[in-house]
Amino acid sequence: MNSDRVSSLFWFALGAGSIYASVRLGMGTTGEPGSGFVPFTAGAFICLMALLVFLQSFQRGPHLKRGLSALWKGVYWRRSLAVGVLTLAYILALETLGFSLTSLLLLVIIMRGLEKISWRKTLIISIVTLAVSYLVFKVFLKATLPPGILGF
Amino acid sequence: MDFFANMITGFSVALEPMNLLFCFIGVFVGTLIGVLPGIGPVGTMAILLPITYGIPPTTAIIMLSGIYYGAQYGGSTTSILVGIPGEAASVITTIDGYQMALQGRAGPALGIAAFGSFIAGTIGIVGLQLLAPPLVSVALRFGPPEYFSLMILGLVILTYLAQKSMAKALMMAGVGILLGTVGLDTMNGVPRFTVGVPELLDGIGIAPLAMGLFGISEILLNVEQKLKHEIVTTELKHLLPSAKDWGESIGPILRSSIVGFFLGILPGGGAVLASFVTYGMEKRLSKTPEQFGKGAIAGVAAPESANNAAAQGAFIPLLTLGIPANVVMGMLLGALMIHNIVPGPMMIKDHPDLFWGVIASMYVGNVMLLILNLPLIGLWVKLLQVPYSILFPMILFVCLLGGYVINNSTFDLYLMLFFGVAGYLMRKFDYEPAPLILAYVLSSLLENALRQSLILSGGSLQIFVTRPISAGCLILAVVLLASSILPRIRERRKMLVEQAEEAT
Repeated sequence: MNSDRVSSLFWFALGAGSIYASVRLGMGTTGEPGSGFVPFTAGAFICLMALLVFLQSFQRGPHLKRGLSALWKGVYWRRSLAVGVLTLAYILALETLGFSLTSLLLLVIIMRGLEKISWRKTLIISIVTLAVSYLVFKVFLKATLPPGILGF
Repeated sequence: MDFFANMITGFSVALEPMNLLFCFIGVFVGTLIGVLPGIGPVGTMAILLPITYGIPPTTAIIMLSGIYYGAQYGGSTTSILVGIPGEAASVITTIDGYQMALQGRAGPALGIAAFGSFIAGTIGIVGLQLLAPPLVSVALRFGPPEYFSLMILGLVILTYLAQKSMAKALMMAGVGILLGTVGLDTMNGVPRFTVGVPELLDGIGIAPLAMGLFGISEILLNVEQKLKHEIVTTELKHLLPSAKDWGESIGPILRSSIVGFFLGILPGGGAVLASFVTYGMEKRLSKTPEQFGKGAIAGVAAPESANNAAAQGAFIPLLTLGIPANVVMGMLLGALMIHNIVPGPMMIKDHPDLFWGVIASMYVGNVMLLILNLPLIGLWVKLLQVPYSILFPMILFVCLLGGYVINNSTFDLYLMLFFGVAGYLMRKFDYEPAPLILAYVLSSLLENALRQSLILSGGSLQIFVTRPISAGCLILAVVLLASSILPRIRERRKMLVEQAEEAT
């Protein structure tokens, strides 16, 4: 299916949803606009533009006839998926395992596991990155980082 | 005279050791990311935004500004040596710069880019310094309706210039405004779109939003591609351009500085547009236009000067009106708002140390950049050889670290990842996040201006068309919207956008 048609339907739904929520928030009057006034206008505008994109997707033209699968054709989408999943895992583990351990794992898994960089390089780069960031954030900016099971 | 008194104030702030340090960090990081393809100034500023929470606002703005104008310097290095633009504003430099490198003239190309940038940057700062105060006095007469209309015009110009599909760009602006309304309504404390999540009562933070849309999503998109680039392995000698080179370049540098500066002031204009326009202008003015595209030094000098002057010019709308001219300025506005400083006509009076300090720091930063980019050019060339496989895990890690320390909670990280994935999908489907983030930053200002205007007028929308400045802005916005539908103009706009798009 045409990619613009799919995306415009999504945005239309988003706009419609915000119109609904805005009406419930209260529109107020033009003399005293309520909380829903601006979100309503924005939502209506999004719907209008989505409709326009939807209609344009029926026009002829080479670049307009792009299906959904074409968006992921010829790219290493597994790599971006892996990075996304690893990022999610990092967030989930951060407060339990602690900053240092989780970060080290993330860097090593990506560089060694995903990108096949040599162990030596991976470890040196990871440890230097960690040490520098620890210095900047913890020592210099006095930020709180989750200590976790290692205690730092 | 005021001019000198202000400059003394400015330099006394800019030369404080702490500010000097952060100015250096800013221009250094700016050059760094300018050199590296795959990460731009907006993403970098977003990533470094959390750091600015812990430092004084003046220092923060000095650093963030340095990233922006520093990136204009660094971008040229990649364009010339690799033939891939380091930044969107250096796209056009690639044409003649890379040709010069292939002919063994990489040295003078880099040299003229750095000197041109320095001259233009300095001209830009002088312009900024001279133009800002009188504009402030004009801006002081602006009421809510004028602000509202001006912001609308700004958003329209931005979408007009920067996008393939204007409908999509305008839609993204709408989404940005919507995202900006999340949280407590400032007027009456009613929670909006918080879906029962207490963390959302304060609204969606600019840091997780921008880091997601520009940091994480860029990583996700880049790792799908195998980024490979080859550096022209010429020995970097004779960085100092010869007298002949100077003769061919000085005219373009001066002209492009002035044109670039004024284009930078325009909303949505900025460095990218300036580099394209001045290249075309110099080609037309040149006695040897056939040399353009084959390694004409003027083809490097003009756009590189213009993008620096424009980077300075872009500060004017933000510092005088409080309205960001482009996304980078939007990030600066966000940073100021984090520190509870509302930029605009009052800032020059309320925070003179910030205003003049930032301007003075630009002089200092430009000198630092000249030193960083000429004698140390070899360092940047080495950096170009660092593969993306090593860079992106580090960028990702800094994003995660920065996202966490804002509120010491993982909530912002989830938000960041969410917007990262959203940004990835948006770009896949050809929706640019720039109008979204700019509209998001403007959202609360826009809403307040609208509500105040309507309260002023007792509910009549006529207030926007009966006041001349407001009416003028709205008419211009409508004209632009209408003209984008006309086929001939649409084609020309598309060409400009596609040229810029090709290499980014």
